[in-house]
Amino acid sequence: MVEAPIKHCSALNSWCDMLLDRLEPPSGPMAALQSISRNQLEALPAPDRSQEDWRFCDLAPVAEIEPQQICSLSKPTAPVIANQVTRVVIGTDQDPLAGVALPDGLTLLNEAELQQALGPNSNLAIAKGQWPLELNQAIAPRVIGLRVSGSVEKTLELVCDASTNRGVIAARLLLILEEQAKLELLQVQLSAGANLTSVVVGVHLHKKAQLRHGLLALGHPEAALLTHLAIAQEPTSEVSHISVCQGWGVMRHEPQLNQLDGGAHTELRALQLVHSNQLADTHSRVRFNGPEGALDQLHKAVAAGNGRSVFNGVVQVPREAQRTNAAQLSRSLLLSDRARIDTKPELEIVADDVKCAHGATVSQLQQDALFYLQSRGIAPPQAAQLLLRAFCDEVICMLPSAAQAWQPLARFLDGA
Amino acid sequence: MNSQSQIEQFVSQPYKYGFVTDIETEKIPKGLEEEVVQLISSKKNEPEFLLDFRLKAYRHWLKIKEPNWAELSHPPIDYQDIVYYAAPKQKAKKDSLDEVDPKLLETFDKLGIPLSEQKRLSNVAVDAVFDSVSIATTYKEKLAEHGVVFCSISEAVKEYPELIKLYLGSVVPINDNYFAALNSAVFSDGSFVFIPRGVECPMELSSYFRINSGDTGQFERTLIIAEEGSSVSYLEGCTAPMFDTNTLHAAVVELVALDDASIKYSTVQNWYAGNEDGVGGIYNFVTKRGQCRGARSKISWSQVETGSAITWKYPSCILQGEDSVGEFYSVALTNNYQQADTGTKMIHIGPRTRSTIVSKGISAGHSSNSYRGLVQMGPKAFDAKNYSQCDSMLIGDQAAANTYPYMRSQQPDASIEHEASTCRISEDQLFYLQSRGIDFEEAISMIVSGFCRDVFSQLPMEFAAEADKLLALKLEGSVG
Amino acid sequence: MTCPDAPVLIEICDLHARVDDQPILNGVNLSIRAGEIHALMGRNGSGKSTLSKVLAGHPAYTVTKGSVSYCGQDLLTLQPDQRSRLGVFLGFQYPVEIPGVSNLEFLRVSTNARRIEQGKEELDTFAFEDFVRARLNLVQMDPVFLDRSVNEGFSGGEKKRNEILQMALLEPLVAILDETDSGLDIDALRIVSAGVNQLTNAENAILLITHYQRLLDLIKPDYVHVMAAGRIVRSGDKALALELERNGYEWVDRELDTLEMT
Repeated sequence: MVEAPIKHCSALNSWCDMLLDRLEPPSGPMAALQSISRNQLEALPAPDRSQEDWRFCDLAPVAEIEPQQICSLSKPTAPVIANQVTRVVIGTDQDPLAGVALPDGLTLLNEAELQQALGPNSNLAIAKGQWPLELNQAIAPRVIGLRVSGSVEKTLELVCDASTNRGVIAARLLLILEEQAKLELLQVQLSAGANLTSVVVGVHLHKKAQLRHGLLALGHPEAALLTHLAIAQEPTSEVSHISVCQGWGVMRHEPQLNQLDGGAHTELRALQLVHSNQLADTHSRVRFNGPEGALDQLHKAVAAGNGRSVFNGVVQVPREAQRTNAAQLSRSLLLSDRARIDTKPELEIVADDVKCAHGATVSQLQQDALFYLQSRGIAPPQAAQLLLRAFCDEVICMLPSAAQAWQPLARFLDGA
Repeated sequence: MNSQSQIEQFVSQPYKYGFVTDIETEKIPKGLEEEVVQLISSKKNEPEFLLDFRLKAYRHWLKIKEPNWAELSHPPIDYQDIVYYAAPKQKAKKDSLDEVDPKLLETFDKLGIPLSEQKRLSNVAVDAVFDSVSIATTYKEKLAEHGVVFCSISEAVKEYPELIKLYLGSVVPINDNYFAALNSAVFSDGSFVFIPRGVECPMELSSYFRINSGDTGQFERTLIIAEEGSSVSYLEGCTAPMFDTNTLHAAVVELVALDDASIKYSTVQNWYAGNEDGVGGIYNFVTKRGQCRGARSKISWSQVETGSAITWKYPSCILQGEDSVGEFYSVALTNNYQQADTGTKMIHIGPRTRSTIVSKGISAGHSSNSYRGLVQMGPKAFDAKNYSQCDSMLIGDQAAANTYPYMRSQQPDASIEHEASTCRISEDQLFYLQSRGIDFEEAISMIVSGFCRDVFSQLPMEFAAEADKLLALKLEGSVG
Repeated sequence: MTCPDAPVLIEICDLHARVDDQPILNGVNLSIRAGEIHALMGRNGSGKSTLSKVLAGHPAYTVTKGSVSYCGQDLLTLQPDQRSRLGVFLGFQYPVEIPGVSNLEFLRVSTNARRIEQGKEELDTFAFEDFVRARLNLVQMDPVFLDRSVNEGFSGGEKKRNEILQMALLEPLVAILDETDSGLDIDALRIVSAGVNQLTNAENAILLITHYQRLLDLIKPDYVHVMAAGRIVRSGDKALALELERNGYEWVDRELDTLEMT
C-alpha cells in the first residue's frame, strides 16, 4: 500500500502565499475576519497527504489555478425562474440580494446580528485552523446572513457559476432557523473552467425547525470545489442534506453536523461521480451531543475512467448520547480498472443503549441485474446505463423539486 | 434491581494466572544498544547472516518513531529500561523432559499445559516458551516421522539455516514497522514449523508463551511454512504474572502457504491485563502476517483476545496466489482500562482471491475496543470477493467501541461488502433466560458466547471450549 | 377439573405494582388451586400482561403493596430464575430473539436447571435430544428449529410453539400463558391448544391471558376473570367469557364507576 510520493504540498503553500499577496486589502463588513484568516493562512500549512484527513485527497491541482481572486462573475445562464422559487445569484459584483424580493419568512440579519453570529462564541463561527475554512474567510467579500421564521413557501435558490473565469471565488452563507421555521434551499454550484470555488454554509436550527438543503454541483475537469457545511441542530429539529456532485477536477465536500443536545433528526444523502482524472472526496462528520438523536446516511459513489472517489464518514456517539439511532450506508460503484475507491466509515461509540449500524459495499454493477435486463433483449451498454441511472436517481430525486429545472439527472449522467 | 448495573459489576474477574515462578534466571543488563544485539546473537551461537539481519533491523529501528495513529494512550515506553534477554538457568535444552527444571514443569502444569509424558495432551504437540527461551517441545519424534518439523526457532537456526535464511523476514520485512524492527533486532525465541509437501500435520501444534520476569520484554518470533498441498493447525496461548509495571511484548509471526497449502492459526491471548485501575499489564504490540503465495492456498486467523493492558495487532493476509483464501475471526473483550486496537488487513493481489472477516468486540468498564481493518482490492484482483462483519457489544456507558474499516478498490470486478452493528445485553433477553431457570451469570455467559459464536465455531475443538470458559471466567465476578 | 380440596398453588393478595412511576396493578386478588384453568380477560392496558410479568419477576416492575404466595412461600422475594426452577412458567406474548445462542442448548440448560430443583437426574446432550424430540410432536414442531438460535428468525407461530415446547420440558406447576393465541392462524391455534390441553393435569394449573373466545373454545377454563384498571372487577365461569364476546367491555366501565363510588 505504498502511496505515490507526496508532491506539490509546498506548491500549494506558495500558491496560497501568492494569492494572499495579490488580494486587495481587507475591506467591507468582513474586513476584521478577513485579516485574521489571512494571518492564519500565512502560518498554516496547506493540506497535504501526510495529514490523515487529506490522506486520499490531493489538492495539488488547485495550485495550477491562477492565484487571484475573481471579483465579479457575469450572470449565469440559468433556467427560467419558476413560480415557487426565489433565486439569489452570488459572486457577481452586485449585492446578491439587490432587487430580490425575499419571500415571506426570510429576513436579512442586521449588521449587529451578523457580527454576533460570526463572533468567537457562536456555533456559526468557523472552526479555527482548518485551511479550507480560513481560505474562504480570507477571501469572501461578504456573508449572506438570513433569518428564517415560520414556514417559507418558496424555495430559496442560490446560484454560483464560476463559468470560465480564472481564479478563486469564495462565498459564505449563514442561516438561522427560528423555532418551527421551515426552509427549502437549493444551492447550485457550476463551473466551466480553471477556477476554484469555495463555499461555506453555516446553519443553526432552533427547536422544531426544518431544513431541506440540496447541493447540486456540476463542475469542469479544470475546476475545483471546496464546500463546507456546518450545521448545529437543537433537539426536535430536522435536517435533510442532499449533495449531488459531478465533473470537478477536484471536489471536497465536508458536511459537519452537530446535534447540540441530541434529539434531532439528520438525513444525509450524497452522490458523487468521477471520471477522467477527477477526484471527489466527501468527509462527513455527525456528532450526537445528547440523547435520542437520529441519523440516516446514504453515501453513493461512482468511479469511472481514472477517477478517484473518497468517502470518510465519522459518526460520534459519546456517553451522553443514549438511545441514539444512527445508520450509515455507503455504496460505491467501480466502473473502470483504472479508477479507485477509498471508503472509510469511522464509528466511535461510547453510549451503550444505542442502535448504530453501518454497511458498505464496493463493486461493479450487479451482474444478475444486468443479465436480467439482457435476457429481456436490452443490449449490455444500454442495460448498464439503465442501472447506473437508477443508482444515481435514488439520490438525485431527493433534491428539492426546484432542482428539476436544472435537469440534474441528464446533466449528471452526461459525465458518466 | 437494575440489571444493566448488575451486568457491569459482573464483568470484573480475578486473574487466575498471576503467580510468579521462583526460579533462578540468567538476565543480561537492561538497555538496548548494538552490543546487546550482538550479545543476544552470540549467546545463541547464531550464524553470521542472522547477526546481520538483527543489526540491520536495529539500525533501522533507531531511525524510526513509535507509531501513534492508533490513538492508544500510554506513558512513553523507556526502551532502555527493559531487559532484552532472560532465561531460566538450566543446561542447554534437552530432548528429554527429565532434565527440565521441575519448577518449570510445575509452572506449566499449573497453567493447564502439562508437558510430562504421562499427562500431556494426546493430540496436541506443545512448544513451551518461558521468558526468552523455549524449554520443551513435545511429540517431536512422532512429528518427525511425518517429516513435520516443530521446534524452537533457535533450534531451527542451527538445524535448518537454509529455511530460516530463505523465509525469515520474507513476510514481515525488518523495516515493516517500529515493533517489527525491534523484534527483528532482539527476538529471543519462538516456534518454527515446517510442513513438507503433501503432508497433513497429524496433530495440532501449539506454543505456550509464559512471561515470568517483570522487567523482561518478550520478543518471540514464529515462522510457519506450509509447502505445496500441506496443512496444519497451530494454536498459541499466553499468560503472565501480575506486576504493577508494564511489560512489553512485541512478537512477529510470519506464515507462508504455498500452492494448495492451508494454515490455521489460532490464538487465545490472556496476558495480564493490569488491575481494575489500569495499573500494570502487558503491552501487546504484535505483527502477524500470512502470505498466501501459492494458488488455492488458505490462511485462517482466529483469535480470542482477552488480556493485555494494550493490544495492538492486525493479523493479516496477503492474498497473492490466485484463488487463495484469507480469513480472520476475532473476539476481543476489554474491561477496566484495557485498550484494544485490533483488526486485520486483507490485501487481495491475485485473481479470484476471497476473504472473510468476522470481528466481535465486547467493551466493558472504562475500556476502549477498536476494530481497525483494511480490505484492499489490487488492480489484478479480478473477481475477488470480501465479506466483513464487525459487531460490537457495549457493557455500561463508560466503554468505547470504535469501528474503522478501510476499504479500497482498484478492480471493478472485485466486490467488497461490509456490515457492522452495535448492541448490548438487553434486559429482555436476560429476563427471558432467567424466566427459564437459568441464573444471571450463566444467562450473561450464554448471551455473550452466543454473540461470539461465529468466531468460536472456527476454533479447533479443544480450544473452543477453552475460549468459552475463558470468556466466562473473564465475565465472572461479584454479582450485586 | 376443579376440586375444592386441591391445594392452593398461588395466592395473590391485594397486589399493587408500577413501572417507572406509573401504577399499573391496583390491588389484584386471585387464588388458583391445582387442577384449575383460569382465564384472564380485559381490555388492552388493563394490567393483564403486567400481572404475568410481575409473577415471573420482571425487573422493570416494582411491587408496591400486597403479596404473592406460591406453594406456601413468598414468591416476590425470588429471582426470576428461581421462580422458574420452582415451577412458575411464563409463556411470553413476544418471545425475545437471542442471536447466536443455540435453541437446543438453551432448552437443555433450562430443563436441567428445573430437573435439578426437582431432584431428577440431569440429562446429558444425547439423553436430552431424545427427551426433546419426544416432545416436539406435542406442538408439531420441526426439529430444524432446535438447531437455530433462540427464536431468531422464527415466525410468530413458531415462537409460540417454542414457548409451549418449553412448557412441556419444564413441567411447571403454574403456567401463565400471555396471549399465546395472538399471531396464530387457525391451524396453529389448534395445535398449540391441543399441546396445552395435554399438559394439564390434577397437579398443575394454568392462567390463560387472552382477548378471544376462540381460545377458550379450545382450552376450557374453569374460571373467567375480567381485569380493568389494574384490578379483577368480575369473576365467573365460562359463561362470563361468552357474555363478553357478545356485549364487549362497556359494562366494565359502569362497573368501574360503581367501584369508584364505593
